Amino acid sequence: MTGTFNPADVLHILPEVFLTVVALGILVLSFAAPSRRKWIEILAVVGVGGTAILLVQAAVPLFRPGGEPYAVFSGMYLVDKFAIFFKVVFLVATLLVILMSIDYLPLIGVPVGEFYAILLFSTLGMMFMASGGNLLSLYIGLETMSICIYILCGFLKQDQKSNEAALKYLLMGAFSSGVILYGISLLYGLTGALDLKEVAASIATMDLSNPALLLAMVMLTAGFGFKIAAVPFHMYVPDVYEGAPTAVTAFLAIASEAAAVAALLRVFLGAMPHIQVDWTMLFWILSVLTMTIGNIVAMAQRNIKRMLAYSGIAHIGYVLIGFVAGTELGISAVLLYVLVYAFMTAGAFAMVILLHTETVKGDLIEDFAGLGQVKPIAAAAMLVFLLSLTGIPPTAGFVGKFYIFGAAIHAKFYWLALIAVINTAISLFYYMRVAMVMYMQEAPTGLVLSSSRPLYLALGFAVLGTMVIGIYPGPFLELARASVFGLLP
Amino acid sequence: MQAVFFFVVAAFTVATALLVVTRPNIVHSAVALIFSFCGVAGIYVLLDAEFLGAVQVLIYVGGITILLLFAIMLTTRIATRVDVFNEQMGLSALIAGGITAILVYASLTGIQIAGEAPAPVETTPALGRLLMTTHVLPFELISILLLAAMVGAIILARREKE
Amino acid sequence: MMGFLLAAVFKIALVMGLVLLAVAYLTLLERKVIGDIQVRFGPSRVGPFGLLQPIADGIKLLFKEDIVPTNADRFIFIFAPAVSFIPALIVFAVIPFGPSFVITDINVGLLYVFAVGSLGVYGIVLAGWASNSKYSLLGGLRSAAQMVSYELSLGLSVLGVVMMTGSLSLVDIVEAQGGNWYGIFPKWNVIPQFLGFVIFMISSNAELNRAPFDLPEAETELVAGFHTEYSSMKFAMFFLAEYANMIAVSALATTLFLGGWQGPLLPPVVWFLLKVFGFIFLFIWVRATLPRFRYDQLMGFGWKVLLPLALANVMFTAAAILILA
Repeated sequence: MTGTFNPADVLHILPEVFLTVVALGILVLSFAAPSRRKWIEILAVVGVGGTAILLVQAAVPLFRPGGEPYAVFSGMYLVDKFAIFFKVVFLVATLLVILMSIDYLPLIGVPVGEFYAILLFSTLGMMFMASGGNLLSLYIGLETMSICIYILCGFLKQDQKSNEAALKYLLMGAFSSGVILYGISLLYGLTGALDLKEVAASIATMDLSNPALLLAMVMLTAGFGFKIAAVPFHMYVPDVYEGAPTAVTAFLAIASEAAAVAALLRVFLGAMPHIQVDWTMLFWILSVLTMTIGNIVAMAQRNIKRMLAYSGIAHIGYVLIGFVAGTELGISAVLLYVLVYAFMTAGAFAMVILLHTETVKGDLIEDFAGLGQVKPIAAAAMLVFLLSLTGIPPTAGFVGKFYIFGAAIHAKFYWLALIAVINTAISLFYYMRVAMVMYMQEAPTGLVLSSSRPLYLALGFAVLGTMVIGIYPGPFLELARASVFGLLP
Repeated sequence: MQAVFFFVVAAFTVATALLVVTRPNIVHSAVALIFSFCGVAGIYVLLDAEFLGAVQVLIYVGGITILLLFAIMLTTRIATRVDVFNEQMGLSALIAGGITAILVYASLTGIQIAGEAPAPVETTPALGRLLMTTHVLPFELISILLLAAMVGAIILARREKE
Repeated sequence: MMGFLLAAVFKIALVMGLVLLAVAYLTLLERKVIGDIQVRFGPSRVGPFGLLQPIADGIKLLFKEDIVPTNADRFIFIFAPAVSFIPALIVFAVIPFGPSFVITDINVGLLYVFAVGSLGVYGIVLAGWASNSKYSLLGGLRSAAQMVSYELSLGLSVLGVVMMTGSLSLVDIVEAQGGNWYGIFPKWNVIPQFLGFVIFMISSNAELNRAPFDLPEAETELVAGFHTEYSSMKFAMFFLAEYANMIAVSALATTLFLGGWQGPLLPPVVWFLLKVFGFIFLFIWVRATLPRFRYDQLMGFGWKVLLPLALANVMFTAAAILILA
């Protein structure tokens, strides 16, 4: 399978090229003019915005009637609606994280230029994961994303928890990458191909109970289980979320999770549709464990970042339900949920940053005390995110859950749907505890909030996203549906 | 003849790899690691992949392990001993043994021998061509990955400005 | 099969014997040349013109007490000199001495040389660590940093040659350098790859840990660096390795840049040996002339000057090949 290098292919990855150039520009700028912090921030925002524009431009022909998905670079890079949907999610997430970081980074003493450059490189890796048509390009995209995030987690060099987070994430991440590679090499040994389509075609002709094939599948399940933080591969998540700078935690929770889900869908639906029965069973178990344990342990947390870590684990459990259902409805519900989750979780982490000032770290649940009386608007925003995370109408979280559970019932996974509903009830308890602290407890004297304008912008954007999808979900659902078209066999 | 070489090299690689994880002195582990990597290079050469073999020695032995030793020598003393055999040993041996058993079973039953090996070809030019055609995109992406990793390493290692 | 094996064994024995003999007399040559440059006589008492001096040195080293320091790491202490010495010798396996005189021609010959060459640093690092002495350790650490840093420039400096030849086999590289340009200039790589050649010479000097890059054994600060605690034959092994490496690098430079055994009138092997001798003389000359670098200068020079230059050379060569082709 020798291909040729067609220079015109570069035009199809223009968004990625632009993002790379901007990231390199930020590096150079931070070296050449380190005092111009504003320029770097503007460049980062422009970079994400420009990439989004180029992406939309590339997407237009696909969404026209008769727009067929295609592959460039010898099948390494796929241009389809699925990839574009996820890339939009990544870019929205990155933009929100940049807005949160603008006044947060100087406060905690993080070098600005390198932070944004590495953040954008990480986003680049995610974009290649979403577009990967080949196990090789998928894996390298995954590593690009992960290595950048290991670095971002350790940016607070003086802070022991940040160091711990970086080291833990690095060790667990490297281990899980190894497991994924083991699975990939087994698949390659069995099929002689790395291209997703060729792998699938080769598996179709094989004995489907081949132990080596099943072993490859189990390895990939375990490896991606680490990456999406499914129970029992979740042990590192709370420590990493707690230790990393909050903006990085938000990035980790929304963008990195979304990218891992994108890669999971690509690999399992693209390369192994013929053994769907087998992996559905595995993911059924993972899904139940993930949501149940995530929700139960979340109840015991005092630190809001840890609580959101466990809540994030639980949400991955919900996402897996749609994946287990495996129907077009299920997968499009997964896509919608990833988008919804990005908005509401970004908002929740932005609230933590809002409380972070010179004196208060703002990451304990008690720090929210009295917010309802002193700062009613901020408290209302937090309430929206909490309601959405629980899944109460008219927020986006309700829409996301509604379609996920609906897909499960539609695909006759009644037990799974029932367990998910029970879990939602459990989650109500700890989300509402935060609301209770906000409204029922007395505020400490001299409660101040961050006065960062970009942070307010991010919060507003997150509230808007959460509410709009909640009230008027139609177009978003249509988009998610259109995006999975052709992904399923 | 080749089979004999293979088993000798493979046994050597496994034995030295075992030494890596069982030596209480971490420098001894690193030295054993050098030999293990050389053994892997030997297997590549036996598979007619000379380029890979040479690069394995060049990068893993000549580059990575030397930096590993460098870091060890800066941080540990000559008499430092690590207690390799602690109370978790039984459990980890069980897990590792179980995984090995599964792997061996799966490869024995699941993977067919493809028949006669194809005649050896010179791999270096072919690899070069593939990197510039079929695999040009991952190849370029790796350079971004390495750049980001380098920038990150410098940030994490450099002294704070006071 | 048997005949092939016998021929190979004979060739190996011949090359090893010659290299070891050359190493012995190289020590004498170095002392003589440096003596001459410093207006001294150098060794002159043992035999005519001091010709038996290397043998006397060898006997002396052999009979010295073999000391292993009490708190040294015994195994690695003994192991290190061998690690230093063996790579220096097996590099010669792929060097073409004449049109048909090469022990083995492998298609990744150059990579093999670099791979094996990169093992040599372990001898020094491990010796430094195992001695359990601060001078040795510092010498070992310095050498690890120095050799890893300069290995990059060294590897990049020869890429130009590889690109021009289109092969990694040393035999191919020599054969591509036959003939003349305009009837006068020999088609040696040193002419189009002059920058690469200069970078190669500087970085190989650093790889050899020779003056002005002899920081691992800087006697004024580190007593004798990594081999402070060594004595007797183990010390001699380091010594042998250093000189064998010097011959190997000279032979490699000859092969890559000066057309190997190519040359008019004289037999090929003689041409080869003459060129190698020229390089060895150059190394000795440099040692006698230049003072030692400071450590930060050494690192700064390697990373900020040589490496970018070597990269520029690669880019330039690639562009030139594209344009001329």
